[in-house]
Amino acid sequence: MASPCELLIASFDKVIASEILAVAVKEARRIEAKYSRFITHNPLWQINNSDTNPVAIDEETYRLLTFAQQCFELSDGRFDITAGPLMQLWRFEDGNQAKLPDNGAIQAAKALVDFSAVTFSTSTMVMPTKMNLDLGGIAKEYAVDSAANLIANRWPTVSVLVNFGGDIACPVARDNQNPPWQVGIENPDDLDKASAVLQIRQGALATSGDTRRFIERDGKRYGHIIDPNTGFPVEHAPRSVTVLAQNCVMAGMLSTMAMLEGSNAESFLNAQGVYFKVYR
Amino acid sequence: MQLNKHRNIASALAMASCSLVGQQAQAVTPDSTLDDWKIDAALMYYGEQDRVQAIEAIGNVQKSFGDTSLLDMKLVVDSLTGASASGAVAQNSSQTFTRPSGNGEYTIAAGDTPLDDTFHDTRVQASANWSETLTPQWKVNGGLYGSKEFDYMSMGLNGGVERSFNKDNTTLSLSGSYTYDVVDPVGGRPVAFSAMALRKDYDTEAQFKAAFDQTRLDGSDDKSTADIMLSVTQVLSRRWLFQANYGLSSVSGYMNDPYKILSQVDDTGTSQNYLYESRPDTRLKHSFYMMTKGALDSGVVDLSYRYSTDDWDIQSHTLETHYRYYFSGNFYGQVHLRYYQQQGADFYRPFLVAGEPLPEYASADYRIGDMNAYTLGIKFGQRLAGGHEMSYRLEYYQQNPENNGTQLFGQLQNYDLFPQVKAIVAQFSYSF
Repeated sequence: MASPCELLIASFDKVIASEILAVAVKEARRIEAKYSRFITHNPLWQINNSDTNPVAIDEETYRLLTFAQQCFELSDGRFDITAGPLMQLWRFEDGNQAKLPDNGAIQAAKALVDFSAVTFSTSTMVMPTKMNLDLGGIAKEYAVDSAANLIANRWPTVSVLVNFGGDIACPVARDNQNPPWQVGIENPDDLDKASAVLQIRQGALATSGDTRRFIERDGKRYGHIIDPNTGFPVEHAPRSVTVLAQNCVMAGMLSTMAMLEGSNAESFLNAQGVYFKVYR
Repeated sequence: MQLNKHRNIASALAMASCSLVGQQAQAVTPDSTLDDWKIDAALMYYGEQDRVQAIEAIGNVQKSFGDTSLLDMKLVVDSLTGASASGAVAQNSSQTFTRPSGNGEYTIAAGDTPLDDTFHDTRVQASANWSETLTPQWKVNGGLYGSKEFDYMSMGLNGGVERSFNKDNTTLSLSGSYTYDVVDPVGGRPVAFSAMALRKDYDTEAQFKAAFDQTRLDGSDDKSTADIMLSVTQVLSRRWLFQANYGLSSVSGYMNDPYKILSQVDDTGTSQNYLYESRPDTRLKHSFYMMTKGALDSGVVDLSYRYSTDDWDIQSHTLETHYRYYFSGNFYGQVHLRYYQQQGADFYRPFLVAGEPLPEYASADYRIGDMNAYTLGIKFGQRLAGGHEMSYRLEYYQQNPENNGTQLFGQLQNYDLFPQVKAIVAQFSYSF
């Protein structure tokens, strides 16, 4: 997942702790192997290379597509897992060496982005040619929830905090006899330093932001959250948005959608009735 | 209005996410809104055998504001009664003393240590402290303090700054405080080394009163204290930490105890006069402190040593340890041991000798004389449902004053001029 992952386990039992760790590692690797777009011939690659042919999907992929579809609708098309071609134009990983894509390329890529053109059932899906799925906006949060739930089902009395690169879930409540988990929120102006500490006993946290992935050109900062409607990074988006919700995919989706709202991020989050922290 | 534009999609998203991750929706509340009040209340009894008794009620409220600010307020009310040693020596005949107010007198039986039983006071203390985490490395705090009792008032302010290094494994802190006290003794401030006026030496109350007034200064006096402390705390391992402090304290102003006297005896050890004490008006004190604390498998232990020295020549060593053992996750027992040893002030005198020149300063207050003291204590604490905690503490304290090398002569050899003081402390605390 290209980010540091850790588990905090409220147990003195080393055997249980190492079993829990093994479950989490196995689940994270399983999901990465299945849905990473950097691995060829995995199920995601099969879909992206299906070239209008129907492709078989399993029940888990069906659930992910269903969730992505609901997010697409709830965000009025702003959250779109088919935005892969657009994303590829913005080379954020090159940092300040990155070239800004030209408008023609953006318009061409935009034409390939439209989740509503994807059809799927419980066992198959069909996608227009050259269209591309990128599950980067869901898969990590999904891996966090999935690992956390596997652990919670097997050890329902052990409170565990699963943290995959800042996306966090803790499904089993930490009891009142113990202090709550302390989760630092990264200060966008001073990376790797916490600017606020949240205390959680149960729930999930996710953060979206452009603190690490952005291009700066002529004094203008282009964040990595691309609005599929314009093909450009969202204007006036916060530096980072952290949301506390009942599971990590929900927290992740709300924080991403808040970024996509740009200058309206705070009012969007206020309307959702969730706890959040925004840095600008 | 932007607010109207946004619809609530959170519940739809919650349902969608639950069917994705296969988990029931659960209510989530950020914990900081629940747990940001902490209230401690305690009732303490301190009783010295045949001497001072005190009952103290302590209330402490802590409130956190967000993750970075903490307000801590404390109120203590205590009521003291009983007797304390006046400093005069025991004699083979009864002794009569004038009360500090000048109104009335009291008599001590032959052979008894003279105790002044007028001690009766109610004290109210209040303090508030604010601490603020500026960044994960820097913390600052500041506070105010005030206390009032019948003849004494104290006001102070303090502030400090704390910096952590090394991923929070090392913390350096620097703090300072300033206290201003006003002393307004009952009956006025005694003139240093003046002799106590006694009724039996005067024919009329008016003559006595005039003589008494000669020994007194009108109005109050003050004292100010400036303290500075440098502290370093180092995490040694996952289970052990170490702390070292250096403190410097400078006091100037009125430091006499207006209720303490010295017997002036002749060569048979018989008291001729009672003189009011006299202490220097400045004091500079250094203290060094080291402590290590560790988490054991089923408990916590700490061990500390303090050395303190000052320009009154009072030097002290304190060794202290606490050991807490958890019988279960919710119930602990704790043992407390403390040993204290003090070398008295250079001007400490158990008594003065008539005919010899008066020293520049003198006090017979056993609290600044040579002594050792120890404390044995036990405490039990129980964690209750809802995060409440109840604890009980019982301690035995014994002070053993010692002769600083003064030669005893005449009838003084017949009495224990350095009697032990024994006390118990009982405390009940509840925190919620």
